[in-house]
Amino acid sequence: MSVLRTAVALVLVAALGITTFAGMTDGFRAVTSEAARRLAVAARPAVVPDVRLAGADGTIRPLHAALASDRRVALVDFIYTRCDTICSVLGNEFQQLQREIVAQGLQDRVRLITISFDPAHDDPATLALYAIRMKANPALWQFATVADTRELMPLLASFGIVVIPDEMGGFVHNAAIHAITPDGRLARIHGLGEFRQALYEAAGLAPTGEG
Amino acid sequence: MSGRACVALALAVVAASGLPPLRAWLEADMARHMLLQFPLLLLAGGLLASALPARLRRCIDACNVHGLSGLFLFLLVSGFWMVPRALDEALLSVWVELAKFGSLLGAGAALQCSWRAAAPIVQAFFLGNWAWMSAAVGLLYQDVTVRLCNVYLLDQQLVAGRGLVVLALVLPLIWVGTLARSGYLGNFLSDDAAVAGRDRPPSCPAEPARPARASRGFQAPGPTDAQRPS
Repeated sequence: MSVLRTAVALVLVAALGITTFAGMTDGFRAVTSEAARRLAVAARPAVVPDVRLAGADGTIRPLHAALASDRRVALVDFIYTRCDTICSVLGNEFQQLQREIVAQGLQDRVRLITISFDPAHDDPATLALYAIRMKANPALWQFATVADTRELMPLLASFGIVVIPDEMGGFVHNAAIHAITPDGRLARIHGLGEFRQALYEAAGLAPTGEG
Repeated sequence: MSGRACVALALAVVAASGLPPLRAWLEADMARHMLLQFPLLLLAGGLLASALPARLRRCIDACNVHGLSGLFLFLLVSGFWMVPRALDEALLSVWVELAKFGSLLGAGAALQCSWRAAAPIVQAFFLGNWAWMSAAVGLLYQDVTVRLCNVYLLDQQLVAGRGLVVLALVLPLIWVGTLARSGYLGNFLSDDAAVAGRDRPPSCPAEPARPARASRGFQAPGPTDAQRPS
Protein backbone atom coordinates (compact mmCIF):
# COMPACT_ATOMS: atom_id res chain seq x y z
CA MET A 1 0.00 0.00 0.00
CA SER A 2 2.81 2.38 0.95
CA VAL A 3 4.62 1.60 -2.29
CA LEU A 4 1.51 2.46 -4.31
CA ARG A 5 0.98 5.69 -2.37
CA THR A 6 4.61 6.60 -2.84
CA ALA A 7 4.33 5.94 -6.58
CA VAL A 8 1.28 8.22 -6.74
CA ALA A 9 3.12 10.88 -4.73
CA LEU A 10 6.10 10.65 -7.09
CA VAL A 11 3.85 11.08 -10.13
CA LEU A 12 2.15 14.08 -8.50
CA VAL A 13 5.49 15.68 -7.62
CA ALA A 14 6.72 15.07 -11.17
CA ALA A 15 3.56 16.58 -12.68
CA LEU A 16 3.77 19.60 -10.40
CA GLY A 17 7.46 19.96 -11.22
CA ILE A 18 6.95 19.80 -14.98
CA THR A 19 4.07 22.30 -14.82
CA THR A 20 6.03 24.75 -12.68
CA PHE A 21 9.23 24.47 -14.72
CA ALA A 22 7.26 24.89 -17.94
CA GLY A 23 5.45 27.92 -16.52
CA MET A 24 8.63 29.63 -15.43
CA THR A 25 10.53 28.87 -18.65
CA ASP A 26 7.76 29.59 -21.20
CA GLY A 27 7.49 25.91 -22.04
CA PHE A 28 11.20 25.11 -21.58
CA ARG A 29 12.20 27.76 -24.12
CA ALA A 30 13.67 30.44 -21.86
CA VAL A 31 15.63 30.05 -18.64
CA THR A 32 16.56 33.73 -18.40
CA SER A 33 14.30 36.79 -18.18
CA GLU A 34 16.05 38.15 -21.25
CA ALA A 35 15.18 35.12 -23.38
CA ALA A 36 11.58 35.21 -22.13
CA ARG A 37 11.29 38.89 -22.98
CA ARG A 38 12.47 38.27 -26.54
CA LEU A 39 9.91 35.53 -27.06
CA ALA A 40 7.13 37.74 -25.69
CA VAL A 41 8.12 40.73 -27.82
CA ALA A 42 8.29 38.74 -31.07
CA ALA A 43 4.90 37.17 -30.32
CA ARG A 44 3.12 40.39 -29.32
CA PRO A 45 4.84 43.63 -30.37
CA ALA A 46 3.82 46.25 -27.77
CA VAL A 47 3.64 50.02 -28.18
CA VAL A 48 6.53 51.78 -26.40
CA PRO A 49 5.79 54.95 -24.37
CA ASP A 50 5.72 58.19 -26.30
CA VAL A 51 8.53 59.93 -24.42
CA ARG A 52 10.08 63.21 -25.52
CA LEU A 53 13.61 62.64 -26.78
CA ALA A 54 16.37 65.27 -26.63
CA GLY A 55 18.49 64.67 -29.71
CA ALA A 56 22.21 65.29 -30.14
CA ASP A 57 21.19 67.95 -32.69
CA GLY A 58 19.51 69.95 -29.90
CA THR A 59 15.93 69.21 -30.97
CA ILE A 60 13.25 67.79 -28.65
CA ARG A 61 10.71 65.49 -30.33
CA PRO A 62 8.16 62.94 -29.16
CA LEU A 63 9.39 59.44 -29.96
CA HIS A 64 6.24 58.35 -31.80
CA ALA A 65 6.22 61.38 -34.08
CA ALA A 66 9.90 60.83 -34.85
CA LEU A 67 9.25 57.18 -35.70
CA ALA A 68 6.10 57.83 -37.75
CA SER A 69 7.60 60.65 -39.81
CA ASP A 70 10.62 58.58 -40.77
CA ARG A 71 8.81 55.41 -41.92
CA ARG A 72 11.98 53.34 -41.53
CA VAL A 73 12.32 50.60 -38.93
CA ALA A 74 14.61 51.85 -36.18
CA LEU A 75 17.18 49.60 -34.53
CA VAL A 76 17.57 51.04 -31.04
CA ASP A 77 20.19 50.45 -28.36
CA PHE A 78 20.61 51.89 -24.85
CA ILE A 79 23.98 53.09 -23.57
CA TYR A 80 25.69 55.77 -21.50
CA THR A 81 28.64 57.53 -23.09
CA ARG A 82 31.07 57.08 -20.17
CA CYS A 83 30.69 53.30 -20.39
CA ASP A 84 33.73 51.51 -21.76
CA THR A 85 32.61 47.90 -21.40
CA ILE A 86 29.39 46.56 -22.86
CA CYS A 87 28.48 49.89 -24.52
CA SER A 88 31.63 49.84 -26.63
CA VAL A 89 30.66 46.35 -27.78
CA LEU A 90 27.21 47.70 -28.66
CA GLY A 91 28.80 50.76 -30.32
CA ASN A 92 30.98 48.44 -32.36
CA GLU A 93 27.94 46.40 -33.44
CA PHE A 94 26.11 49.57 -34.45
CA GLN A 95 29.12 50.71 -36.48
CA GLN A 96 29.03 47.36 -38.27
CA LEU A 97 25.27 47.75 -38.71
CA GLN A 98 25.82 51.17 -40.26
CA ARG A 99 28.29 49.65 -42.74
CA GLU A 100 25.95 46.73 -43.49
CA ILE A 101 22.96 49.01 -44.08
CA VAL A 102 24.95 50.85 -46.74
CA ALA A 103 26.47 47.67 -48.16
CA GLN A 104 23.04 46.03 -48.53
CA GLY A 105 21.39 49.22 -49.78
CA LEU A 106 18.86 49.30 -46.91
CA GLN A 107 19.21 53.05 -46.17
CA ASP A 108 15.53 53.68 -46.96
CA ARG A 109 14.27 50.80 -44.79
CA VAL A 110 16.38 50.65 -41.62
CA ARG A 111 18.00 53.29 -39.43
CA LEU A 112 19.78 53.36 -36.08
CA ILE A 113 18.97 55.21 -32.84
CA THR A 114 21.19 55.18 -29.77
CA ILE A 115 19.49 56.33 -26.55
CA SER A 116 21.46 57.27 -23.44
CA PHE A 117 19.97 56.32 -20.06
CA ASP A 118 22.25 58.80 -18.31
CA PRO A 119 20.60 62.16 -19.09
CA ALA A 120 22.34 63.78 -16.11
CA HIS A 121 25.67 63.44 -17.86
CA ASP A 122 24.81 62.85 -21.52
CA ASP A 123 23.45 66.23 -22.64
CA PRO A 124 23.03 66.92 -26.38
CA ALA A 125 26.59 68.30 -26.68
CA THR A 126 28.09 65.16 -25.08
CA LEU A 127 25.95 62.98 -27.35
CA ALA A 128 27.12 64.94 -30.40
CA LEU A 129 30.74 64.33 -29.42
CA TYR A 130 29.95 60.66 -28.89
CA ALA A 131 28.37 60.52 -32.37
CA ILE A 132 31.60 61.90 -33.85
CA ARG A 133 33.62 59.35 -31.89
CA MET A 134 31.39 56.61 -33.31
CA LYS A 135 31.85 58.01 -36.87
CA ALA A 136 28.06 58.03 -37.16
CA ASN A 137 26.44 59.03 -40.45
CA PRO A 138 23.69 61.50 -39.34
CA ALA A 139 21.33 60.29 -42.07
CA LEU A 140 21.49 56.74 -40.72
CA TRP A 141 22.26 56.98 -37.02
CA GLN A 142 20.80 59.40 -34.49
CA PHE A 143 21.65 59.89 -30.81
CA ALA A 144 19.27 61.04 -28.07
CA THR A 145 18.36 60.88 -24.41
CA VAL A 146 15.12 61.58 -22.55
CA ALA A 147 14.18 65.25 -22.28
CA ASP A 148 12.42 64.59 -18.96
CA THR A 149 14.24 62.26 -16.53
CA ARG A 150 10.88 61.15 -15.08
CA GLU A 151 10.15 59.47 -18.41
CA LEU A 152 13.34 57.40 -18.30
CA MET A 153 12.13 54.54 -16.07
CA PRO A 154 8.90 53.85 -18.02
CA LEU A 155 10.90 53.89 -21.27
CA LEU A 156 13.55 51.48 -19.94
CA ALA A 157 10.86 49.26 -18.43
CA SER A 158 9.01 48.98 -21.74
CA PHE A 159 12.22 47.88 -23.46
CA GLY A 160 13.11 45.54 -20.59
CA ILE A 161 16.35 47.36 -19.91
CA VAL A 162 17.48 47.07 -16.27
CA VAL A 163 20.09 49.59 -15.17
CA ILE A 164 21.89 49.04 -11.85
CA PRO A 165 24.38 51.65 -10.56
CA ASP A 166 27.76 50.00 -9.95
CA GLU A 167 30.38 50.76 -7.32
CA MET A 168 32.42 53.04 -9.60
CA GLY A 169 29.74 55.63 -10.37
CA GLY A 170 28.79 53.90 -13.62
CA PHE A 171 25.99 51.49 -14.47
CA VAL A 172 25.57 47.81 -15.11
CA HIS A 173 22.89 47.14 -17.68
CA ASN A 174 21.70 44.56 -20.17
CA ALA A 175 22.40 45.19 -23.82
CA ALA A 176 20.38 44.30 -26.88
CA ILE A 177 19.35 45.53 -30.30
CA HIS A 178 15.67 46.52 -30.36
CA ALA A 179 13.69 46.83 -33.61
CA ILE A 180 10.90 49.44 -33.46
CA THR A 181 8.43 49.79 -36.30
CA PRO A 182 7.17 53.22 -37.47
CA ASP A 183 3.90 52.67 -35.56
CA GLY A 184 5.88 52.77 -32.31
CA ARG A 185 5.87 49.05 -31.54
CA LEU A 186 8.79 47.08 -30.17
CA ALA A 187 8.80 44.18 -32.61
CA ARG A 188 12.07 42.27 -32.10
CA ILE A 189 14.94 42.02 -29.65
CA HIS A 190 18.31 40.57 -30.57
CA GLY A 191 21.32 39.95 -28.39
CA LEU A 192 24.85 41.15 -28.84
CA GLY A 193 26.53 39.41 -31.75
CA GLU A 194 23.25 38.97 -33.60
CA PHE A 195 23.32 42.23 -35.52
CA ARG A 196 23.14 40.54 -38.93
CA GLN A 197 19.98 38.70 -37.90
CA ALA A 198 18.62 41.93 -36.39
CA LEU A 199 19.20 43.80 -39.65
CA TYR A 200 17.71 41.01 -41.75
CA GLU A 201 14.53 40.91 -39.67
CA ALA A 202 14.28 44.72 -39.43
CA ALA A 203 14.46 44.97 -43.22
CA GLY A 204 11.65 42.41 -43.38
CA LEU A 205 9.51 44.48 -40.97
CA ALA A 206 9.97 47.71 -42.90
CA PRO A 207 7.18 48.99 -45.12
CA THR A 208 8.29 48.27 -48.68
CA GLY A 209 7.32 51.69 -50.10
CA GLU A 210 5.43 50.27 -53.09
CA GLY A 211 2.54 48.93 -50.98
CA MET B 1 14.98 20.19 21.09
CA SER B 2 11.29 20.15 21.95
CA GLY B 3 8.66 20.56 19.25
CA ARG B 4 7.70 24.00 20.44
CA ALA B 5 11.28 25.21 20.47
CA CYS B 6 11.76 23.89 16.92
CA VAL B 7 8.69 25.76 15.68
CA ALA B 8 9.74 28.95 17.46
CA LEU B 9 13.24 28.75 16.02
CA ALA B 10 11.88 28.00 12.53
CA LEU B 11 9.49 30.95 12.68
CA ALA B 12 12.31 33.18 13.89
CA VAL B 13 14.48 32.11 10.94
CA VAL B 14 11.62 32.65 8.46
CA ALA B 15 10.83 36.06 9.95
CA ALA B 16 14.47 37.10 9.93
CA SER B 17 15.07 36.09 6.32
CA GLY B 18 11.66 37.30 5.16
CA LEU B 19 11.26 40.70 6.81
CA PRO B 20 12.44 43.81 4.98
CA PRO B 21 15.84 44.82 6.40
CA LEU B 22 17.54 41.43 6.38
CA ARG B 23 15.60 40.15 3.40
CA ALA B 24 16.75 43.10 1.28
CA TRP B 25 20.35 42.46 2.34
CA LEU B 26 20.11 38.72 1.65
CA GLU B 27 18.52 39.22 -1.76
CA ALA B 28 20.71 42.13 -2.88
CA ASP B 29 23.48 39.70 -3.77
CA MET B 30 22.98 36.58 -5.89
CA ALA B 31 25.38 34.49 -3.78
CA ARG B 32 23.72 35.55 -0.50
CA HIS B 33 20.30 34.92 -2.01
CA MET B 34 21.13 31.38 -3.17
CA LEU B 35 23.74 30.27 -0.66
CA LEU B 36 22.48 31.91 2.53
CA GLN B 37 18.76 32.67 2.32
CA PHE B 38 17.84 29.39 0.58
CA PRO B 39 19.66 27.19 3.14
CA LEU B 40 18.12 29.23 5.99
CA LEU B 41 14.64 28.57 4.62
CA LEU B 42 15.42 24.88 4.06
CA LEU B 43 16.63 24.69 7.65
CA ALA B 44 13.46 26.36 8.92
CA GLY B 45 11.40 23.88 6.90
CA GLY B 46 13.32 21.01 8.46
CA LEU B 47 12.74 22.38 11.96
CA LEU B 48 9.02 22.72 11.27
CA ALA B 49 8.85 19.15 9.99
CA SER B 50 10.59 17.82 13.09
CA ALA B 51 7.73 19.25 15.15
CA LEU B 52 4.98 17.62 13.06
CA PRO B 53 2.37 15.66 15.08
CA ALA B 54 3.02 11.92 15.00
CA ARG B 55 -0.28 11.22 13.20
CA LEU B 56 0.51 13.55 10.32
CA ARG B 57 4.03 12.23 10.23
CA ARG B 58 2.72 8.68 9.78
CA CYS B 59 0.48 9.85 6.91
CA ILE B 60 3.48 11.44 5.21
CA ASP B 61 5.65 8.38 5.76
CA ALA B 62 2.98 6.23 4.14
CA CYS B 63 3.47 8.07 0.82
CA ASN B 64 7.19 8.40 1.24
CA VAL B 65 8.73 4.92 1.13
CA HIS B 66 12.52 5.17 1.40
CA GLY B 67 12.02 8.94 1.40
CA LEU B 68 11.64 8.79 -2.38
CA SER B 69 8.81 11.33 -2.78
CA GLY B 70 10.35 13.82 -0.39
CA LEU B 71 13.83 13.61 -1.88
CA PHE B 72 12.42 13.95 -5.39
CA LEU B 73 10.46 17.03 -4.30
CA PHE B 74 13.61 18.49 -2.75
CA LEU B 75 15.58 17.84 -5.93
CA LEU B 76 12.98 19.58 -8.10
CA VAL B 77 12.58 22.58 -5.78
CA SER B 78 16.30 23.17 -5.45
CA GLY B 79 16.71 22.80 -9.21
CA PHE B 80 13.87 25.21 -9.88
CA TRP B 81 15.46 27.96 -7.81
CA MET B 82 18.65 27.67 -9.83
CA VAL B 83 16.76 28.87 -12.94
CA PRO B 84 17.97 32.46 -13.45
CA ARG B 85 14.53 33.67 -14.46
CA ALA B 86 13.05 32.27 -11.24
CA LEU B 87 15.59 34.30 -9.25
CA ASP B 88 14.67 37.43 -11.20
CA GLU B 89 10.95 36.86 -10.72
CA ALA B 90 11.35 36.25 -6.98
CA LEU B 91 12.63 39.81 -6.65
CA LEU B 92 10.14 41.35 -9.06
CA SER B 93 6.92 39.59 -8.04
CA VAL B 94 5.48 39.24 -4.55
CA TRP B 95 3.66 36.04 -5.53
CA VAL B 96 6.79 34.36 -6.81
CA GLU B 97 8.59 35.46 -3.65
CA LEU B 98 5.85 33.91 -1.52
CA ALA B 99 6.02 30.75 -3.63
CA LYS B 100 9.78 30.72 -3.09
CA PHE B 101 9.42 30.87 0.69
CA GLY B 102 6.70 28.22 0.64
CA SER B 103 8.50 25.84 -1.68
CA LEU B 104 11.86 26.10 0.12
CA LEU B 105 10.21 25.56 3.51
CA GLY B 106 8.40 22.59 1.97
CA ALA B 107 11.61 21.23 0.46
CA GLY B 108 13.39 21.55 3.81
CA ALA B 109 10.52 19.73 5.49
CA ALA B 110 10.55 17.06 2.78
CA LEU B 111 14.26 16.52 3.31
CA GLN B 112 13.79 16.18 7.07
CA CYS B 113 10.98 13.64 6.55
CA SER B 114 12.93 11.64 3.99
CA TRP B 115 16.64 11.60 4.66
CA ARG B 116 16.70 9.11 7.53
CA ALA B 117 14.10 6.93 5.86
CA ALA B 118 16.34 6.66 2.80
CA ALA B 119 18.86 3.86 2.67
CA PRO B 120 22.42 4.93 1.85
CA ILE B 121 22.01 3.73 -1.73
CA VAL B 122 18.96 6.03 -2.14
CA GLN B 123 20.83 8.85 -0.40
CA ALA B 124 23.73 8.30 -2.78
CA PHE B 125 21.43 8.46 -5.78
CA PHE B 126 19.75 11.71 -4.75
CA LEU B 127 22.86 13.38 -3.39
CA GLY B 128 24.69 12.40 -6.57
CA ASN B 129 21.94 13.87 -8.73
CA TRP B 130 21.79 17.01 -6.65
CA ALA B 131 25.57 17.47 -6.72
CA TRP B 132 25.73 16.85 -10.46
CA MET B 133 22.97 19.37 -11.08
CA SER B 134 24.45 22.01 -8.76
CA ALA B 135 27.93 21.62 -10.19
CA ALA B 136 26.64 21.90 -13.76
CA VAL B 137 24.63 25.03 -12.92
CA GLY B 138 27.57 26.45 -10.94
CA LEU B 139 29.94 25.93 -13.86
CA LEU B 140 27.40 27.43 -16.25
CA TYR B 141 27.05 30.52 -14.04
CA GLN B 142 30.83 30.96 -14.27
CA ASP B 143 31.17 30.05 -17.94
CA VAL B 144 28.74 32.44 -19.58
CA THR B 145 30.07 35.94 -20.10
CA VAL B 146 26.63 37.56 -20.02
CA ARG B 147 24.51 38.17 -16.97
CA LEU B 148 21.87 35.49 -16.58
CA CYS B 149 19.80 37.45 -14.06
CA ASN B 150 18.69 40.96 -14.86
CA VAL B 151 18.68 41.82 -11.17
CA TYR B 152 22.23 40.63 -10.41
CA LEU B 153 25.69 41.67 -11.46
CA LEU B 154 28.10 39.43 -13.33
CA ASP B 155 30.63 39.15 -10.49
CA GLN B 156 27.85 38.03 -8.11
CA GLN B 157 26.94 35.36 -10.65
CA LEU B 158 30.56 34.17 -10.61
CA VAL B 159 30.60 33.96 -6.80
CA ALA B 160 27.26 32.14 -6.73
CA GLY B 161 28.54 29.72 -9.39
CA ARG B 162 31.71 29.00 -7.42
CA GLY B 163 29.67 28.51 -4.25
CA LEU B 164 27.39 25.98 -5.96
CA VAL B 165 30.39 24.00 -7.22
CA VAL B 166 31.98 24.06 -3.75
CA LEU B 167 28.70 22.82 -2.20
CA ALA B 168 28.43 20.12 -4.86
CA LEU B 169 31.87 18.86 -3.83
CA VAL B 170 31.73 19.39 -0.06
CA LEU B 171 28.28 17.97 0.77
CA PRO B 172 28.92 14.56 -0.85
CA LEU B 173 32.32 14.44 0.90
CA ILE B 174 30.68 15.15 4.25
CA TRP B 175 28.13 12.47 3.51
CA VAL B 176 30.83 9.92 2.66
CA GLY B 177 32.63 10.98 5.86
CA THR B 178 29.54 10.33 8.01
CA LEU B 179 29.00 6.98 6.33
CA ALA B 180 32.61 6.04 7.00
CA ARG B 181 32.36 7.09 10.63
CA SER B 182 29.17 5.13 11.13
CA GLY B 183 31.03 2.11 9.82
CA TYR B 184 28.78 1.64 6.82
CA LEU B 185 31.66 1.66 4.42
CA GLY B 186 33.35 -1.06 6.46
CA ASN B 187 37.07 -1.14 6.00
CA PHE B 188 37.04 -0.10 2.34
CA LEU B 189 37.35 3.63 2.61
CA SER B 190 37.98 4.41 6.25
CA ASP B 191 41.52 3.79 7.52
CA ASP B 192 40.29 4.01 11.11
CA ALA B 193 37.78 1.29 10.53
CA ALA B 194 40.37 -0.77 8.72
CA VAL B 195 42.70 -0.64 11.72
CA ALA B 196 40.13 -0.80 14.49
CA GLY B 197 37.73 -3.16 12.82
CA ARG B 198 40.13 -5.91 11.75
CA ASP B 199 38.63 -8.41 14.18
CA ARG B 200 35.11 -7.09 13.88
CA PRO B 201 32.47 -7.86 11.30
CA PRO B 202 32.39 -5.26 8.50
CA SER B 203 29.54 -3.37 10.14
CA CYS B 204 30.44 -1.31 13.16
CA PRO B 205 28.79 -2.76 16.24
CA ALA B 206 28.86 0.56 18.05
CA GLU B 207 25.79 1.70 16.09
CA PRO B 208 23.59 -1.28 15.51
CA ALA B 209 20.71 0.79 14.11
CA ARG B 210 22.62 2.03 11.07
CA PRO B 211 23.89 -1.25 9.65
CA ALA B 212 20.49 -2.82 10.17
CA ARG B 213 18.83 -0.06 8.14
CA ALA B 214 21.68 -0.05 5.68
CA SER B 215 21.43 -3.72 4.87
CA ARG B 216 17.70 -3.37 4.41
CA GLY B 217 18.27 -0.71 1.79
CA PHE B 218 20.01 -3.12 -0.51
CA GLN B 219 17.09 -5.50 -0.67
CA ALA B 220 14.53 -5.21 -3.38
CA PRO B 221 11.94 -2.66 -2.26
CA GLY B 222 8.97 -5.00 -2.77
CA PRO B 223 9.54 -7.58 0.01
CA THR B 224 10.75 -4.89 2.40
CA ASP B 225 7.45 -3.11 2.21
CA ALA B 226 5.45 -6.24 2.30
CA GLN B 227 7.11 -7.00 5.62
CA ARG B 228 6.55 -3.56 6.99
CA PRO B 229 3.11 -2.92 8.52
CA SER B 230 1.63 0.23 7.04
